[in-house]
Amino acid sequence: MSINVHLSGHLKPFAGGEVEVNLSGEFATVGDVLNSLWQQHSALRDRVLTEHGDIRRHVNIFVGSDDVKRLSGLATAIAGNDIYIFNAVSGG
Amino acid sequence: MAESCTLLVVGTGKGLFILRRADGSDKWSIEGPHFAGLAVFSAFLDQRKGRNEMWAAPASWHFGAELCKSTDMGKTWDMPEKRRIKMPASTKTALENIWQIAPGADNDTLYVGTAPGGLFESHDRGATWKLNSGLWKHKHRKNWAPGFGGLCLHTIITDRKDPNNLKIAVSSAGVYQSSDGGATWSATNTGIKAYFLPDQYPEFGQCVHKIVRHPKKKRTLFLQNHHGVYRSRDDGHTWHEIENGLPSNFGFGLTASSSGAVFIVPLEADAKRFTCDGKLRVYRTRDEGETWQPLTKGLPQKNAYEVILRDSLDSVGTDIFVGTKNGKLFASADDGDSWKLIEGSLPEICCVKAYTI
Repeated sequence: MSINVHLSGHLKPFAGGEVEVNLSGEFATVGDVLNSLWQQHSALRDRVLTEHGDIRRHVNIFVGSDDVKRLSGLATAIAGNDIYIFNAVSGG
Repeated sequence: MAESCTLLVVGTGKGLFILRRADGSDKWSIEGPHFAGLAVFSAFLDQRKGRNEMWAAPASWHFGAELCKSTDMGKTWDMPEKRRIKMPASTKTALENIWQIAPGADNDTLYVGTAPGGLFESHDRGATWKLNSGLWKHKHRKNWAPGFGGLCLHTIITDRKDPNNLKIAVSSAGVYQSSDGGATWSATNTGIKAYFLPDQYPEFGQCVHKIVRHPKKKRTLFLQNHHGVYRSRDDGHTWHEIENGLPSNFGFGLTASSSGAVFIVPLEADAKRFTCDGKLRVYRTRDEGETWQPLTKGLPQKNAYEVILRDSLDSVGTDIFVGTKNGKLFASADDGDSWKLIEGSLPEICCVKAYTI
């Protein structure tokens, strides 16, 4: 199974300058994909999740076009081949 | 021998700026923004043992706050893969912001104050950090109430001659002290008013905004409260109002210069957070708060509706600096007698830290 993780440009410094990361493996949930992503780019973890493993309040993760916070969070089942990690349109 | 200069580390809502002025000059250079787009509420230059290690805490609205270090005087900064400051799992809370970075009594200890009300300590120059459990597990904590900036631990006062003597302040919990190096803590808010609570002089729950120690008298401290200006002459155990001559007792910033003068910038009121009467006036006391005098020379005295945050007033020697939320940065080279605008359009200034290097 191949998954493309698309990153906000703000996260490039923590992903070796990339905004797209391709991951191969068996992934049942968003959490599985992220754990694989941290293996390649461990600095992303602390920026995307809180120290307790929760998705940060102003970070959104989409499976296809669905916001996982409206589904089952990190336990949301994978559908399709694309995951997006974006910052929310919030800020000052 | 290298020329000495005055260095300002200025944290703003959109990044960190570093300003320098060579001795004998009145011209400032400016670098930045570092951490462009991120808010920096705390910074510290560790000059102990001549090491010149700079610390800053950029916070992203989206991706959280972290503690970063520079070993080249702010030219480049690290951003560790695993963040230095994290709330332990047992706390069931997440880091919201880093409000203070302060040196410990010995040459290798550093402290960091956070929201949600955590004190972190490092005894190896910032290589490893741990949450101070004595304060975290304090029996009062469950009744502490967050202020506008969260439950922020914004003031850390240490004692070079007594490493066991620690003081911190949290909004809105008040002043807490330890006499055993941080193992146990006691609330020391006697005399400080909490007008917003039914019991207006409670044991704790005050919204203390900032504390400084007198530069020459170890047991004398000054405190800017959420309405209230106080002095303690017993090392911060009891507090007495010192408001004679002030237009308001509300404000945030507070600093003391090497001359022994103390400076504040009163704001109208809790619900009117801007400088009184549309004038930017720094108030100075030279008699430990018995009287206060307005300082206006070089400061705008018309249509000046400024806000000075808790760490945006600082001094080194008798050089005094004031940063405003409107992005103006003023300097005085004569203990406050006269002022000069050195930057007028920075982002919202969140902290100003002054050093001689």
